[in-house]
Amino acid sequence: MKNVFLFSLLVGLFLFAGCDGSEDIVQPPGTTFTVTFKALYDGQPLEKYKNYDYDTYQVQFSRFNTFMSNIALLDGATTMPLSAIEWVDFTPDTAPDNFAVEVPVTFSAVPEGTYTGIRLGYGVPPALNAKQPKDFATDHPLSRENEYWLGWQSYIFNKIEGQVDLDKNGVFDGGLVYHCGSDAVFRTYDFTLPIKVEPGSGITVEFDLKDLFVISGSWLDLNDPYNHITSNDVNDVVIATILMDNFDAATAVKQ
Amino acid sequence: MKKNILNHSWHLFVLTALAGVMLLWAACKKDDPAPDNGEQDLTHIPYAPQAYTVVKPDHFPQVPIPADNPLTVDGVQLGRRLFYDPILSADSTQSCSSCHLPQGSFTDNMATSVGIDGIFGRRSAMSLLNVAYATNGLFWDGRSPTLEDQALRPVEDPIEMHNTWPNVIAKLKAHPTYPELFRKAFGIRNTSEITSELAAKSIAQFERILISSGTSRFDLYLQGDTDALDDDELDGKLMFFDEGAVVGLPDAQCFHCHGGLTLTGNQYFNNGLDSVAALEDFPDRGRGEVTGNPYDNGKFRSPTLRNIALSGPYMHDGRFATLDEVLEHYSGNGKGVINEDPFIRQIGFPVPGTNPVQYSGLTPSQKQALVKFLHTLTDTTFINNPDIQNPF
Repeated sequence: MKNVFLFSLLVGLFLFAGCDGSEDIVQPPGTTFTVTFKALYDGQPLEKYKNYDYDTYQVQFSRFNTFMSNIALLDGATTMPLSAIEWVDFTPDTAPDNFAVEVPVTFSAVPEGTYTGIRLGYGVPPALNAKQPKDFATDHPLSRENEYWLGWQSYIFNKIEGQVDLDKNGVFDGGLVYHCGSDAVFRTYDFTLPIKVEPGSGITVEFDLKDLFVISGSWLDLNDPYNHITSNDVNDVVIATILMDNFDAATAVKQ
Repeated sequence: MKKNILNHSWHLFVLTALAGVMLLWAACKKDDPAPDNGEQDLTHIPYAPQAYTVVKPDHFPQVPIPADNPLTVDGVQLGRRLFYDPILSADSTQSCSSCHLPQGSFTDNMATSVGIDGIFGRRSAMSLLNVAYATNGLFWDGRSPTLEDQALRPVEDPIEMHNTWPNVIAKLKAHPTYPELFRKAFGIRNTSEITSELAAKSIAQFERILISSGTSRFDLYLQGDTDALDDDELDGKLMFFDEGAVVGLPDAQCFHCHGGLTLTGNQYFNNGLDSVAALEDFPDRGRGEVTGNPYDNGKFRSPTLRNIALSGPYMHDGRFATLDEVLEHYSGNGKGVINEDPFIRQIGFPVPGTNPVQYSGLTPSQKQALVKFLHTLTDTTFINNPDIQNPF
């Protein structure tokens, strides 16, 4: 009697398990691997509107976002592509507070093993930069209209915005706006380190804005007004080039 | 005796298994609310949904459509009727279109809007042109994440329609036409299934078809008609998009907040309107009311500038009656409040010898050129589109 009841219960459970409509999923080979992007200033998590020492004066930041592209793991001379393009927004409107959010990007079906490094593209590579937001599905990173500069026919590769208190009177009255774009300033950097890919593994990619603005040991001089902004004619490319050339020095990859 | 026990066991097994199967069948079945007594069966009305193809200019981005509310011909038509029908308000005097009229590019051309009780709200009705692209929050402060959520709110706002959704739903259920329209739009089987969520979904479907026609003079210029803009308008365009340096024009920095082809970044900015001693002092905290972050106080969603000449007065509180006043404001380079957008302080040319650097603002002729350019964004084909007019 008891066995009969248990058997019928098992039949019921079996039927219940079968009615959720799911199909058997064939898992692709490899595993998941997460790259977590972080924004820092002087080694600490970036915080919007916080006073940061910069040369002999102080700065604040209010926005930092960037396109990262051609992300690939390196295995000697060969590469394992992970992503053509990602949108990394450290300061979204939905952030719960002023701290820059961490942006994890998880890739699936990555072959397990130990790699020799990672390749990162800073901005939008020329082939993709030749397109426009209308060319992409609405959930694609490059469908973002406000990251496209109609005048330049280019995506805005990254945006770093803030303000500076040059005369040290406590008033941050100088605007800082660095919007880099155009094929000429697209950069790709390789970072060499052993990267182990196994279930649940990942790396962090840290951008330190202090290091970005120290170029070959000297601060980008904010007493020069043309160094406040990347959208002033020929200076656009000059400042954008300086920053994009220095992004590798501002990047730390860790596992 | 043993046989009886076996028989009994067998019966028990069959009954238990049968009950299990019935239970599981019920669990697997989609939600299927039983008809309420007194409600009207609608299954005799055909339900044959046809996908609605949104018409957009070729050079516009693809229109975001949520997977849980695909546009159908009947869904859009129901939404259009609800949008224009005062049945939504408590005294049946106001509809969505009372504050969002086609001729004002779906604004009411008031500084702030007035509800059924004659009370004025504190903010201006935003244009609904290209609102389908607004995927970073609705209203000036972004408090609604989706159009479906947004469409629910004015009905119960005490200074707007001042109604309740149960009242609205009761009226819709008893209406001679709406039950059939809901059936055709959503396949409901009984009037008991008419809900505020379905009403909001249909209104959102209608709002998603409010897309530019692509025939403004600016659009014609973008598509290769270089004669579409005169010299002043072209100067305005160059300053708007920060392309003017090559011909000696300053940056007006407009496109940073009003970018892309829809001319809105759908982001939140303090655009330097108010001079306040502390972030808590803003007369309207805007985005800060939603996030609770004082650094978001005084920030508002940047509206589209398409049809801007038709949709004044301007700013979240309608403080500027004309575009001339708007340009005068921006030429002043802000108020120096800590969370102002940095572009607000960088309009014009850098003034040599100033530290921190000051910017020149714009000359009267430059401001006029920008105003003339803004007029090239006018899209009369859109506002006269018969598919979006009042169906009553």
